[in-house]
Amino acid sequence: MTAIDPDRRMASAHEEIKIGGGFKAGLVNFTFLAAPIIAILLLWEAVARLSGMPAALLPPVTMIFAAVIRLTEQGLLFGDVASSLARLFVSVIVGSVVGTAAGVVMGYFRFWEKTLSGPLNFLLAIPGTAMFPLSMIWFGLTEMAIISILIYEVALTVTLNTWTGVKSVDNSLIRAGRAFGANGISLFWRVLIPGALPSIITGYRQAFSRCWRILIVAEMLVSVTSGLGYRIYWGREYFNSDVVYGGLLVVGIIGLLIERVLLRGLEMATIERWGTVRE
Amino acid sequence: MGELRVDRLGKAYTLRESWNRMRELNVFRDISFTIRDSEFVSVIGTSGCGKSTLLSIAGGLSQPTSGEILVDGRSVTQPGLDRGIVFQEFALFPWLTVLGNVAFGLKSKGTPKAERERIAAHYVRLVGLGGFEHYHPHRPSGGMKQRVSLARALAIEPSVLLMDEPFGALDAQTREAMQNALAEIWMKTRNTIMFITHDIREAIYLSDRVLVLSGRPATVSFELTVGLPRPRSRFDPVFQKLESSLEAAIGHNPALAAE
Repeated sequence: MTAIDPDRRMASAHEEIKIGGGFKAGLVNFTFLAAPIIAILLLWEAVARLSGMPAALLPPVTMIFAAVIRLTEQGLLFGDVASSLARLFVSVIVGSVVGTAAGVVMGYFRFWEKTLSGPLNFLLAIPGTAMFPLSMIWFGLTEMAIISILIYEVALTVTLNTWTGVKSVDNSLIRAGRAFGANGISLFWRVLIPGALPSIITGYRQAFSRCWRILIVAEMLVSVTSGLGYRIYWGREYFNSDVVYGGLLVVGIIGLLIERVLLRGLEMATIERWGTVRE
Repeated sequence: MGELRVDRLGKAYTLRESWNRMRELNVFRDISFTIRDSEFVSVIGTSGCGKSTLLSIAGGLSQPTSGEILVDGRSVTQPGLDRGIVFQEFALFPWLTVLGNVAFGLKSKGTPKAERERIAAHYVRLVGLGGFEHYHPHRPSGGMKQRVSLARALAIEPSVLLMDEPFGALDAQTREAMQNALAEIWMKTRNTIMFITHDIREAIYLSDRVLVLSGRPATVSFELTVGLPRPRSRFDPVFQKLESSLEAAIGHNPALAAE
């Protein structure tokens, strides 16, 4: 055995770290997730029926589910979910592209960092929902009023996370990238963005959930004709509290699903990177 | 294979001492030497004497304040694929596999994918990591990471290989194993190498010539031709004599202490 062969004993000690853990673990996870929810629902049903509170204030779970089913049968639920999700995805995609570009520029170029960090922090201090009066002045009570605020919020969140992510890329990786031919734009694509990816993805997740929350409120403030926020609002107007609860339930479930799907999807790709870019 | 020529190189930094005062720190001045084709030359000296800066300039990652470095007759101003760098901190890209890391420079060259992978796989095997192509670099040990780093630099088949204290971060046993490995690999590839280290024995074991950088500002204060046939033995009496000469050469400057 020459000096070139690495120590075979060391080499064979590689552990296979299970990602996900297989079916059994999945079942256990699901149980952990589902059991508390089921317990709460049962408790709710009992309290709603037995406590003597009016159904308008605390409808039983069965009534809420019935409302959701009714809306589905009327075709309204599907339309509302589709409208809300459409607004969500458009805003997140546009905002993410803008935010990622801005964040990378700020992370790499000292000049842009100095110039933009002040305004960025200023804008981050203003809550997104507080900007609605402004967007309504500009765009009236239209879709654009909602979308513009959402894009704005997403862009800010993504910029912040991307900026800090790029800054945290180890300088030795940047030197290595340059030494091995990644110059100019290719340095961004081949080194800075992959290096900052864990932070960038965190930014996307935050952006998604913020955007979803603001969106639902926006649909209540601005007159649109469909959407979950819209449905919840009008449920109140017509004293249909079961619709209000039902709508909120759907909002929560969709938010959870997006988070889980995103978590699984994008993070699986980055778990490969092991969440750390420090050597 | 190529020639590296350092021509009256100087590097000075301007440091801010207080809000209204700047101080000039002269790292080295008027350094000149040539590394010939296929020659293995070590540059030794203690930390802070500027040897890493010297390598950084040779790599095109920083600029000199005077003089220049020429590789194959061309002045170095920027990083380039005619020089391969092996960093002390490994600097491997964690999002790429071993193969992906080694092929990185080839991708920069525009080599098509199949060809890239073939060349990269060849060098992965050459450094003894056959079988690890699809691992991500956080998993193997320090010695193995440095082998990847070496393979990455070799894969672009550079004129000159620049190695910046590559075994400094490894434990003593791994370091010795890596020195042996590098010696074997070099006998096959015969790259022109500039090797920075503070370890005298390492320099003698590996190189054709050893240059001592010392003083403040630093200059090449001593040069030694090793002349031992390869493969070398660390227990050769000539080895000990050379070691004493170098220790004495470094010892001439009391500001430096051998590490």
